[in-house]
Amino acid sequence: MSDQSANAVQRASANSPATDVRVSFKRWLVKTARNPYVTFTSLVQPIIFLVLFVEVFGAVSEGALAEVFAGDINYVTYLTPAIVIMSTLSSAAVSGIGLVDDMEEGMFEKVLVSPMNRSAMFLGKVLSEVARIVVQTTIILVLGYVLLAVKTGDSVDAYLQTGVAGFLGVIGVTVVFGGVFMAYSNIVALVTRDQEATIMLANLLTFPLVFVSSAFLPLEVLPGWIETAAVANPITYGVDSVRAIMLGEDVMTVLDVTAFGGLWNTVVPSIAVLVGCLFVLGGFAVRLLRRAARADVQ
Amino acid sequence: MPGQPSHDGTETELAIDAQDVHVTYADGTTAVRGATLRVERGEFFGFLGPNGAGKTTTIKTLVTLLHPTDGSVRINGYDTVTEPQAVRESIGYMAQETSIDRELSPRENLQLTCELYGVPESEREDRIAELLDLVDLEAVADTRSETFSGGMKKRLDAATVLVHRPPVVFLDEPTTGLDPEARLRLWEYFERINERGTTVFLTTQYLEEADQLCDRLSLLQDGQVIATGGPEQLKSEVGVDVIDLRLADATDEAKQHATQVLQRLDAVGDATVATTTGGVTVRSPAVREAASEVFAALDDAGIAVESFDVRSPTLDDVFLALTEGSTEESPATGVASLGTEVVQ
Repeated sequence: MSDQSANAVQRASANSPATDVRVSFKRWLVKTARNPYVTFTSLVQPIIFLVLFVEVFGAVSEGALAEVFAGDINYVTYLTPAIVIMSTLSSAAVSGIGLVDDMEEGMFEKVLVSPMNRSAMFLGKVLSEVARIVVQTTIILVLGYVLLAVKTGDSVDAYLQTGVAGFLGVIGVTVVFGGVFMAYSNIVALVTRDQEATIMLANLLTFPLVFVSSAFLPLEVLPGWIETAAVANPITYGVDSVRAIMLGEDVMTVLDVTAFGGLWNTVVPSIAVLVGCLFVLGGFAVRLLRRAARADVQ
Repeated sequence: MPGQPSHDGTETELAIDAQDVHVTYADGTTAVRGATLRVERGEFFGFLGPNGAGKTTTIKTLVTLLHPTDGSVRINGYDTVTEPQAVRESIGYMAQETSIDRELSPRENLQLTCELYGVPESEREDRIAELLDLVDLEAVADTRSETFSGGMKKRLDAATVLVHRPPVVFLDEPTTGLDPEARLRLWEYFERINERGTTVFLTTQYLEEADQLCDRLSLLQDGQVIATGGPEQLKSEVGVDVIDLRLADATDEAKQHATQVLQRLDAVGDATVATTTGGVTVRSPAVREAASEVFAALDDAGIAVESFDVRSPTLDDVFLALTEGSTEESPATGVASLGTEVVQ
């Protein structure tokens, strides 16, 4: 090879793919930590929602909860899974903004023209968003328990029936659920190549979808059309699986599955639906990304 | 052996070897139609042309961001289509748009590019310090770059291109939109890296920039290279001299009148007469000898000349002479713009 000869052209040494992932991960983590919007959606917003919803709907929802669940379930315990999923949604749905930003600022091209491994560049970004979701989910779970303890003095066992395994399970569900909406956001970003459109379509989705699901009240007490719409809403599956893990029982009403027993009757079909969505949307997002990074002009 | 691949271990003289490159976009637009460029190691090479001539498409093809539809490109002996990774490892590319991460400080931006290019950790600190010094950003090294002026951002961008000491750097209109002082500082910087042995490929629409910096240059128009050579060589090949005339009455009608008078004048031969902001400019091989006839003709027509300047051609004149008769917009002139408008 010419590299060894005295007159050889000097070349930069390419990193291993793992190093490339780490470089990209670190960059996005720093950017995330510096963004005030992130602090708001990850910390302030969940606190506001959790406290306000509990205060406003807590009293009236007791009847609805008693109607559906045999045991005595506090609304805090019922609502926390919804706040976990909602916050995951808000974080994941803005994933594409960073990508559009990079394209507008020329950083996308700058990385493309460098020796960096392309897949590693995106993997690092995705991992930084996953890290954000993990941290945020942990904070909300702790917050929910603090609120419950203050209101009722209940122990952790009553709050999270499935213990440490359940906690890890909830984290796992939020990561898969987040992946679905990260893919969605990146598809919007790559199709529109526009920051405002990406933000708008993220917001447009977040609110109505959360209400047309089992997030805030059991579907049994909601109008029939919401129950019908909730079947096709990924949020239902995200919320139901987190709720099933926390309550330790089968809570899903949109699909009637009895094959797995207990909480698994909710978790298994829900995760199957979410993983299916992740493969379809994720595959499409990867295809669009590949096309954006390709050098062909014709 | 210029142009030969370096895989057998022989030295490649050419830093850039583009053979008959064509680029057609998916929508059918042909941006480059047959560009051949041969740039030797260590050269400061200019690529000059008006907006829309295909400069950016060409440079993106050279740096592996686009594949040529036809023709081939070798950078440092590596083929851009079959060996893009090797090309990427041996070049630096400064895009037309300033490409820095605004949420990061200059030091962090340089750190990031060091990581992208696998600069050994032990060398990073020294290189970053050296580059911050070179572009004069030490004072703000740890401030987030979103608040910087356009010139500071450009300088930071230029520094990030050099962290891995690439043997060839590509600069796409690096000084567009900068004030004269910022532009001069960047020029100085590019000259310094060229003196250190780096091959520089610079696109520009400023003729003065190319004249000042480049050893050789190619003129691009409509996706085609219309001339290549040293600035002086190109000027002498055009073989014209120039008289700039400033008229006492610089209204459009007076300038038109003067233009007509001079176009009818046999003594200046095959002349190009163009209006400028303050008067007219006459370009002709015979104009130096015919200066007295020019003044006599204007005097006869009752046109008063306030001042005049007989000079050698600039690259501006070269460009006008080469693109004469075409409807293409002429490239913007440099800092000392004449505001020339082609009449004939």
